[in-house]
Amino acid sequence: MNTSEEVRQFILSELINGTGSVDIDDETELIESGIIDSLGIMKLLTFIETKFAAKIDESELMPENFHSIDAIRALLNRLNNN
Amino acid sequence: MDFKTTNEQDLLANNIIKFARNELNEGIEQRDANSEFNRREWHKCAEIGICGLTFPEEYGGGNADLSTTVNCIRALSYGCQDTGLVLALITQICCGLQLHLFGKDNQKEKYLPPIISGEKIAAQAISESDAGSDVGSMRTTAIPHPNGYRLNGTKMYITNGPIADIVLVIAKTGQSQMAFRNLSCFIVTKETSGFSSETNLEKMGLRTMQNSGLIFENCDIPAEQIVGNEGQGMFIFNEMIEWERILMAACYLGVMQRIYETTVNYAKTRNQFGKPIGQFQAVSSKIADMRIKIELGKLIIDKAAWQKDQKIRSTVESSIAKVFLSESLKKICADALQIHGAYGYMKEAGIERDVRNSFAATISSGASEIQRNIIAKLSNL
Ligand SMILES: Cc1cc2nc3c(=O)[nH]c(=O)nc-3n(C[C@H](O)[C@H](O)[C@H](O)COP(=O)(O)OP(=O)(O)OC[C@H]3O[C@@H](n4cnc5c(N)ncnc54)[C@H](O)[C@@H]3O)c2cc1C
Repeated sequence: MNTSEEVRQFILSELINGTGSVDIDDETELIESGIIDSLGIMKLLTFIETKFAAKIDESELMPENFHSIDAIRALLNRLNNN
Repeated sequence: MDFKTTNEQDLLANNIIKFARNELNEGIEQRDANSEFNRREWHKCAEIGICGLTFPEEYGGGNADLSTTVNCIRALSYGCQDTGLVLALITQICCGLQLHLFGKDNQKEKYLPPIISGEKIAAQAISESDAGSDVGSMRTTAIPHPNGYRLNGTKMYITNGPIADIVLVIAKTGQSQMAFRNLSCFIVTKETSGFSSETNLEKMGLRTMQNSGLIFENCDIPAEQIVGNEGQGMFIFNEMIEWERILMAACYLGVMQRIYETTVNYAKTRNQFGKPIGQFQAVSSKIADMRIKIELGKLIIDKAAWQKDQKIRSTVESSIAKVFLSESLKKICADALQIHGAYGYMKEAGIERDVRNSFAATISSGASEIQRNIIAKLSNL
């Protein structure tokens, strides 16, 4: 499974579990749609940091970096390259 | 796994306990009765480095990790009977942390040294009359304005509010429905035109700590006073609150240890029916429960602090620490008063003050119900 797919699976199973069938593509707006709320983001951060062994610096903790699967993938790429 | 503190940490803690007992307790009954904040004691604490424990030396800090800091706060609240003062100092540390973790270099250079030296007092303003647990429903706005933002709104219950020189304010900067995209954090200094603080609120407990409403009326805030970036407020809040919950839990643990020891002594020396009351199982079981809470509380605080030191997210553990220690504190205070009988109910014993103080623990920095919501939400239900 590639990064985007792993993030998608996590979101589907952990952030919107039990809320029916939701389609999430790489550009689906995760914040405005309410899929990620203020507690959901903590869950997502913990997932990203443990699953991908990534350390997200305070300066990267921006809504822009988590608003879609594409944005999360781009963040992870950046972290890997650093 | 090593449960032992280092010799250096023990030495530091012992010195803080001695300092607190010698320098901070005199006149506490009067200050509590008068809701009086004592600047002299504040400065003494700052002088021995309490405000700067976790900050880099270049700003005048002590460069301590969170595990050491937690140990120091615990020692301080164990030795110091003025829990309001300890919690005011924790607010100061948390304000500094937000600047240290998210601030720009020039903000750190400008604001961290006076926060660390205690010369300036800091407050963090999030809650409003109609937005407590539901932080996202806040009404305070920061609307873009030439060269910065225009801040309008009223904050409520703010620790250090009436005496603050620097306030970190969380306000709405966007129109989004989703709070955590919408909030930003600003540095407001007391000289800012349009900023005012209300008078100290009379509280049930923690009366030496000063709390008030803060009013922001067309406050023009230069763009360079934003902490981090626009829209980063909820992330700053989430990070800060983990530290705050761990530090507050450490404060409660110190108080619990002090009350436990006082109660054990009393139970050994107070005789009824021809023997010390500690020989009655109904009393000794309460004391055993106190010990259980102290031991378990220490473990979860140490784990949460260790996580932060390892840069591991500690959302669940800091919430567990907060809910467990705050509820334990309330129970231990109430049981200590019961074991002390009528004497415990008298002001002279000092326990009633701890009982009054303890009630805020399960409300501020996220009420117990909210902590349980967080723990449940992060429990893969
Ligand atoms: C001593 C003290 C110091 C403080 N210092 C500061 C400070 O420095 N800065 C600052 O910004 N604020 C400060 N506060 C405010 C504090 O953060 C709020 O009191 C706290 O967030 C709770 O909000 P509230 O009091 O409005 O209660 P409410 O949010 O009105 O809650 C009332 C009750 O309903 C429960 N409740 C609410 N929502 C839910 C839910 N979803 N599920 C279950 N139960 C729920 C709560 O747990 C609580 O028991 C301080 C408060 C105190 C007491």
